[in-house]
Amino acid sequence: MQYQNELPLLQVENLQVSFKGENKQWIETVKGISFSIPKNKTVALVGESGSGKSVTSLAVMGLLPKGQSQIAAQSKIKFEGKDLLHLSAGEIRKICGKEIAMIFQEPMSSLNPVFTVGDQIAEVLRIHLDMGRKEARVRVLELLREVGIPAPETKIDAYPSQLSGGQQQRVMIAMAIACEPKLLIADEPTTALDVTIQKQIIDLLESLRQRHQMSMLFITHDLALVGEIADEVIVMRHGEIRECGPVEQVLERPQDVYTKALLHCRPQLASRPYRLPVTSDFMKQENGQWVEVSQLSDLNLKQRSRGLKGDEQIILEVKDLKKSFYSRKGLWGRDEFQAVKGVSFQLAKGKTLGLVGESGSGKTTIGLLLMRLHEATGGQALIGGKDILAMSEKEFCQYQRKIQIIFQNPYASLNPRFTIGQILLEPMRIHGIGQNDAERKKIALELLERVSLPAQAYDRYPHEFSGGQRQRIAIARCLTLKPEILICDESVSALDVSVQAQVLNLLQDLQDEFGLSYIFISHDLSVVKYISDQVMVMNHGELVEIANSDELYLHPQHEYTKKLLNAIPQGIVHH
Amino acid sequence: MLSTIFKSKASSDESTAATGLWQLALKRLKSDRIAVVSFIVVLFYFILLALSMTGVIASNWNKEVAVSYAPPTFLGADVDSSHVREAAKSTESLPENPVDPLKDVIQQLNAEIQSEQQSGYIDDYGMVDPLAEDMKKINQQLGGNLLEQKQELKSTLPFGADKWGQDILLKTIKGAETSILVGLLSAVLAVVIGTFLGAIAGYFGGWVDDVLNWFYNIFTSIPYLLLVLAIAAVLQQKGILSIVLILGLTGWTGVFRLIRAEYMKHKSREYVLAAKAIGVSHLRRMFVHIFPNVSHIALVQISILVVSFIKSEVILSFLGFGVPVGVVSWGSMLNEAQSELILGKWWQLAAASIAMAVLVTAFSMFTDALRDALDPKLK
Amino acid sequence: MLAYVVRRLWQMIPTMLGVILLIFFLFNWVGGDPAYILAGKMSNPEQIENIRKQLGVDQPYYVQLWIFIKQILTFDYGVSWSTGESVSQIILTRLGPSLTLLIPLTILQTVISIILALAVASVRGSLTDRMVMMLCTIGMSISILVYIIVFQYVLAYQLSWFPVQGWSDNFSENLTQYALLPILIMLVVSIAPTLRLYRSFVLDEINQDYVRTARAKGVGESRVLGVHVLRNASIPIVTEVMASLPALLIGAFLIERFFGIPGIGREIIIAVERSDFPVIKAITVYIAAMTMIFNLIADLIYKLLDPRVQLK
Repeated sequence: MQYQNELPLLQVENLQVSFKGENKQWIETVKGISFSIPKNKTVALVGESGSGKSVTSLAVMGLLPKGQSQIAAQSKIKFEGKDLLHLSAGEIRKICGKEIAMIFQEPMSSLNPVFTVGDQIAEVLRIHLDMGRKEARVRVLELLREVGIPAPETKIDAYPSQLSGGQQQRVMIAMAIACEPKLLIADEPTTALDVTIQKQIIDLLESLRQRHQMSMLFITHDLALVGEIADEVIVMRHGEIRECGPVEQVLERPQDVYTKALLHCRPQLASRPYRLPVTSDFMKQENGQWVEVSQLSDLNLKQRSRGLKGDEQIILEVKDLKKSFYSRKGLWGRDEFQAVKGVSFQLAKGKTLGLVGESGSGKTTIGLLLMRLHEATGGQALIGGKDILAMSEKEFCQYQRKIQIIFQNPYASLNPRFTIGQILLEPMRIHGIGQNDAERKKIALELLERVSLPAQAYDRYPHEFSGGQRQRIAIARCLTLKPEILICDESVSALDVSVQAQVLNLLQDLQDEFGLSYIFISHDLSVVKYISDQVMVMNHGELVEIANSDELYLHPQHEYTKKLLNAIPQGIVHH
Repeated sequence: MLSTIFKSKASSDESTAATGLWQLALKRLKSDRIAVVSFIVVLFYFILLALSMTGVIASNWNKEVAVSYAPPTFLGADVDSSHVREAAKSTESLPENPVDPLKDVIQQLNAEIQSEQQSGYIDDYGMVDPLAEDMKKINQQLGGNLLEQKQELKSTLPFGADKWGQDILLKTIKGAETSILVGLLSAVLAVVIGTFLGAIAGYFGGWVDDVLNWFYNIFTSIPYLLLVLAIAAVLQQKGILSIVLILGLTGWTGVFRLIRAEYMKHKSREYVLAAKAIGVSHLRRMFVHIFPNVSHIALVQISILVVSFIKSEVILSFLGFGVPVGVVSWGSMLNEAQSELILGKWWQLAAASIAMAVLVTAFSMFTDALRDALDPKLK
Repeated sequence: MLAYVVRRLWQMIPTMLGVILLIFFLFNWVGGDPAYILAGKMSNPEQIENIRKQLGVDQPYYVQLWIFIKQILTFDYGVSWSTGESVSQIILTRLGPSLTLLIPLTILQTVISIILALAVASVRGSLTDRMVMMLCTIGMSISILVYIIVFQYVLAYQLSWFPVQGWSDNFSENLTQYALLPILIMLVVSIAPTLRLYRSFVLDEINQDYVRTARAKGVGESRVLGVHVLRNASIPIVTEVMASLPALLIGAFLIERFFGIPGIGREIIIAVERSDFPVIKAITVYIAAMTMIFNLIADLIYKLLDPRVQLK
């Protein structure tokens, strides 16, 4: 397998990176890490946001912003024996793109919008291999074919905005492998892509790596993905390496407390405990050190069964919901885009209906339609027999309290200029809850406690809180109105795994306590399976399949559902 | 990506006091030395403005207190000026030339001139001033002050004098009052109009937006200066109020476009949707929710427009379409300076230019610092 | 594309109507009775009534409006109230001098500003950057009047490097002699704000992801700035140049006045001083129409340069 005395391709020694903060002080983001990447292997660098994984990769390529960042003098990054940190700018430029290449997370913005795809790939060839125009074009066509772009002869002259997300990422990959680099750094290349596309890209990367005998440094936050693609794993947290080693060892027999926590906070397809374990179940800070609290076996992983039996009370009934968007076409015409094409379903009281689909499936639109934030083109939504979509604004006021929504982006859903107190008081004032502000403040403080936030938060501003905390504030805001139905629109998708577990647990607690009914919209199939009783699958605006969650995952009926489930990263795949 | 690093760092730090946008901005401004210096300069001008408006200083700017074109004190009294002074009052005594056949006539004339200078009358072409006797009587009645005032004309002033002997320093201060007042009032007017209309257009969209855009297109199709000149031509009346109205009613377009874009952006942001979800009314959403997120832009726009309007007012006054004749503005000073320069008198030009340049520079730098403090971008 | 152009032209009509209404409102309603202005103060009522009839201002408003619209459509605005020259004639002859100034100015200004903006952006954050920006701020705070007065006095009057004033009928003589100092002054005045603007465009692009990709590919810094960034920054730059051209015609009025250059700008000032309404109205209508058309051209160029834009 691995020859121990072979010189590693990349050797990082004691890398320390600091950034200039707002008050002109240097904050250390990467605190002296060392690792190596052997030849012809894939090494995964895993961590949550803020762990320093992206910073590390940028440091290797010399792409850290010059004025804002600083690498310590004693750090070394050795590529084939040469220390990259002590090369001149010209020498580094010769290596970047030729010996080491990099692909990024957002392919749309990472490609230059005003140059054709062909020109951008050819640029690498012309700079590093000195190819002429015609020769380069031939090679570009070869590369496009190799990365699986259909009809390369036409696509070569296309602009990035004319390609889909998956195709753009393929173009990025083509640019990266054009000069046959020895090391490919992939920084979260599939995070912004749909699950089915993700699978294709991952397969492509793996096959390319083997064919060209490259090494790959794969950066991600998704541990299941790591299992599929990596030979070795490095786990980072807060700028330090917690654990590293061969993939089976780290994923199946983790040594480090944090790694264990990370592995178990994720909802697994195979199990559904009453509460998801969170990091604090595993570790707590004692004297500045993280100490293990309990073993996995100690935790109560009693399984929760979910599913509808058919005799539950129906609280919301949606019939033939439709939504079309219109845009101008030509001089007089109108283009119609059907986002939701006649969807019908029922929501049982006290239960969770999961809504899955890829981007463009219409799942988010359904949530907005039910909230009357978008106007439906057709259909009905019946609560207690009354169609809330057909009501006037005044009538709807009575029903407004019953159905609330939590949005995806925790940084955008709270007004940056309001204090938390103002955010919580406002809905109560509008709907006449509580006799006066003093009473309302009391309710607000109780709610803050319920969502595990300190009472001091009342006078603070949203920007002082993390993503997970903001989502909890958003939940508290909804709770002020004592709703019956809560729509969670990708509410945990933007959160780190450990924070996600906390929020999911909170949602579950609230459902247990108050009998809330949820519509849980997400593209993450594992999370949906964990929290839902029933699951609806959407594809291009159509309801493709609906069933109890266990049933759906074990015995999917529709082709699309099968394709979707197949694409879920399974974890370790033994080669 | 980098921003997420900072955000997670921020949350792990201990935050002490509640920090809203304005408190944060103030903190940043205080630590920026350039901002503090510019602010002090601007404040100085504003204090001058207050003093000048209330008449504490410069209220007597149009009094003739010095000789015409008196040079600045730091240059020293002009030797020429005494000649100028005398020339203004009487004819020069004619040179004597013994060989001249007309020397008797000249001697007689000189004697007349001498007596004229002693009596202090202005004697034109040998004719005695018919009003001289009456003036003398009036002078005696007034206690002899009238004509004596003429004699007290200074030969130098701190920054020199203009053609009519008016103190340039005082004129500059008074001119500052005009320009700053016009700049401030028009800027506030323009921003209020632009913000209000922009908010409505951006928030409601639809036909309201179309109508307001129609207005916007009309006003921007005509180049700004042309519009101002056209209105000035038509209004025919001058005065600070007219200028303020003209500048304000034509300068709202930039603000309108900015605020409209901001409202369109914020209208579909999740926090506004969340407000709608809990039942907040349109008006409240527009002005209680969105406006605080947009107010800093309006503030910066006021700052920018003040600078721009001060410059416009100067040009307008220069052309004669600005302030009326009795009011002084830096523009009118520059107008006079034009012809003065050929005579070699540069102090009025210097005074007006420097005063204006210092104010505008300080204000501009403060505006930049303000904008950065309210909306810092990682550079 | 054609559908887009047609739709835009169609949308211009209400705006043009609005402009016409505004001008009409200003001059035919708010404006003082032109008869008095023309006749001076010493006329008798008969003369005034006569003049009124000639100008057509004794008719009711809607008739006057119709006359105005007819004028616009036939490009015949009657004659100037002060010189008696045909207004169309005036505008045509003044266009040449204005363009002689503006075209070289625009080209020089754009090219120099782009070069400086790229240079400053490549050392952004450094002392040079901040000093240049401060110089720009100070430069912008001195009124254009001061520049004109001082430059004219020092360079033309004292040092005699340029003619103080004047214009000739010969095009090349104009270009090489009379236009030089005016263009120089306008260049000095306009470089500062243009540089600041272009610098901000360039900086917006430098922080984009695709620049990071280019560097990761090993592209040299000069190529990153000069090809990748510039090509993207050129979109807002070109749009801005196109859209500001019509305003430049008027904006040069101070220069034209000081240097005695018979251009459109100077014409407007004279017309305003003399309350010569037909001239002012005509120029305003033309410039407004030009602005709208140039905006349309700017949008079309934007579409040509930026493949992301979909014209609807």
